[in-house]
Amino acid sequence: MIDGIKKLAKNLTLSELRSGMKITAKEFVNTKITVQYPEEKTPISPRFRGLHALRRYPNGEERCIACKLCEAVCPANAITIESEMRDDGTRRTTQYDIDLFKCIFCGFCEEACPVDAIVETQIFDYAFESRDGSIMTKERLLKVGDDNEQVISKTKAQDAKYR
Amino acid sequence: MSSEQIIFYILSFWFIASSLAMIFARNAAKAVLFLVLGFFSAASLWILLEAEFLAITLILVYVGAVMVLFLFVIKMLNIDKSTLRAKFAGYLPLGLIVALIIIAEMTLVLGGAQFGLEVMPSPAKHGADYSNITVLAMQLYTTYVYPFELAAVLLLIAIIAAITLVHKNEINRKKQSISEQVNVKAKDRVRVVSIASPSKENK
Amino acid sequence: MMELWQSFVLGVNELMPWFDGNVAAIVIILIKAVALIMPLLLTVAYFTYAERKVIGYMQLRIGPNRVGPKGWLQPIADALKLMTKEIIFPSKANIYLFLLAPILAIAPAIAVWAVVPFDEGIYVTNLDVSLLYVLAIGSIGVYGIILAGWASNSKYPLLGALRSASLLVSYEIVIGFALVTVVMIAGSVNLNTIVADQQGGIVNWYFIPLFPMMIIFFISALVETNRAPFDVVEGESEIVGGTHVEYSGMTFAVFFLAEYANMILMAVLAVIMFFGGWHSPFEGLGVLESVFAWVPGIVWLLAKSTFFMFLYLWVRATFPRFRYDQIMRLSWKVFLPMTIIWIFVVALMTQLHIGPWFA
Repeated sequence: MIDGIKKLAKNLTLSELRSGMKITAKEFVNTKITVQYPEEKTPISPRFRGLHALRRYPNGEERCIACKLCEAVCPANAITIESEMRDDGTRRTTQYDIDLFKCIFCGFCEEACPVDAIVETQIFDYAFESRDGSIMTKERLLKVGDDNEQVISKTKAQDAKYR
Repeated sequence: MSSEQIIFYILSFWFIASSLAMIFARNAAKAVLFLVLGFFSAASLWILLEAEFLAITLILVYVGAVMVLFLFVIKMLNIDKSTLRAKFAGYLPLGLIVALIIIAEMTLVLGGAQFGLEVMPSPAKHGADYSNITVLAMQLYTTYVYPFELAAVLLLIAIIAAITLVHKNEINRKKQSISEQVNVKAKDRVRVVSIASPSKENK
Repeated sequence: MMELWQSFVLGVNELMPWFDGNVAAIVIILIKAVALIMPLLLTVAYFTYAERKVIGYMQLRIGPNRVGPKGWLQPIADALKLMTKEIIFPSKANIYLFLLAPILAIAPAIAVWAVVPFDEGIYVTNLDVSLLYVLAIGSIGVYGIILAGWASNSKYPLLGALRSASLLVSYEIVIGFALVTVVMIAGSVNLNTIVADQQGGIVNWYFIPLFPMMIIFFISALVETNRAPFDVVEGESEIVGGTHVEYSGMTFAVFFLAEYANMILMAVLAVIMFFGGWHSPFEGLGVLESVFAWVPGIVWLLAKSTFFMFLYLWVRATFPRFRYDQIMRLSWKVFLPMTIIWIFVVALMTQLHIGPWFA
């Protein structure tokens, strides 16, 4: 009986509705957490696995020695490598394609690479306009590496002690 | 012709035209819409007679509520026109007789002898401060208070009767009690039991 | 200028004698209507912007801010987009009724504004039964939704229309009964008189003796305008988009306009009925009254209705959608008995001459 009257009073004074509206009113004046994306960016971990890149040594020589370990380890079969002997007798790739449609960004290729040639960068906001744009050829991968070498070497150094 | 007469003839034409269209419309939903148009024309005619209250009430009650329910029902029904047409010819003689009787009665009761301009001159124009409702209320609550109350009680009985009809076979009905659902609390559904922990017993 | 106008009026009267020389009056009414509708549509446009902003803020976002400075051109961009989009007709739909539906939705939503008093003497027309007019014309808006559902020849619109029809009919009764109490105090169904009767400071406003009725009116207004948390007519998560499913481009925009015009109307009505319309809240407070004496009444009316419009958005940002049968129960088993009880309470208060309201 007393419980019923209490419940009725609570219902008639809309107490539950008011407590709900109090919460939204509080959030209305709270600081907003939206990140204005192109102008502002959230910090990215050095371990972030984004777009791939092929690195070079400081003297300009490409690191990749066409050992095909990455091709073997790739769980999605996204990597295709062809290689032959260069004039100076070293083994180099003639073709190094990563299909971004197949790639699952697991980072195994980076783990497998004995010379730290293939890496995953922090770039995530890339786009392509045709279907064949999904194939990252050797030239494009090297270009990504050349353009971002500073960032790549910094993040890899940050993460090195945990490997 | 004055502007009032022109408006009157336009509205009367619309009224008659929409009533006829309502009868002859093949689509039930369209028929209802023509009926709505008819109500609007009638209401406008009443406004022309300075009977705003009645006009607005006509729209409020009939257009706003009754016709909405008509449309509601029409949408729920799946009317098979061929079965309706099949019996049409059989009912025709009886229908014609009834229609003729009604027409005769209406001409007798509503004809020029009773409602002509000589018998019922057009009402006098009132000023802007004339309140239609006040006059109507005065009449309803003084002279006609008993018929008014009787009608109210009659409607109340009708409401109760309708509700009783709906609740006739309550026993066999599966229904949800919404107030119970709304007022349910966590403790009505979940029982928190404290069970002795076995690891403590082993000690 | 004046001569030109007079010769125009004379010329028209000569050509069309059946106007009885009322051309000037008709033109003035038309000008009044335009002066009312243009700001109304602009308000609707920016109300949608305010809605997105307010709900965004309540969800810790910042809402639209890309089109124009701070997103101020967003509603114009939306309007342009809707105008240039294609209108698609469902293949077996009834085209006439399909196109009639948005017209029947927007026409009453705008026509109702004819009797709304914005300030002492500022209205399009002073109808003696203006409150009933508002209820009557407002109840026609449901035809737009019902016809949209029926003419689309599609199942989700039909479900939405069925829900809408039964909801609107039941909540019209509740709104009617709630407003009967207002009429009982004011002794008039003329909106001008109702506002004039609330003169003399906050204590004279009707929301004090009619507080429960004000809340019931506001909640029923939410249902009447198909707003969250009672937006079962659209019900995106259950019936896709209800009656709007088959409408695209401008036909959809018209439904949108009607819904928001109705929301603004309900906010203004709440102010007129319960919060003293154009009267300043500082009336009868000595110094404050003279300080704010220069503010025109229309500003007070709009300021007070802005609060109610904000309340619409606030409620939408807070509550989850009601289940359909629960809304019906709320109407018939909770609100209707409460309004009827309060009618008796008001009758008692009238007999006992309580407070400044029943003098």
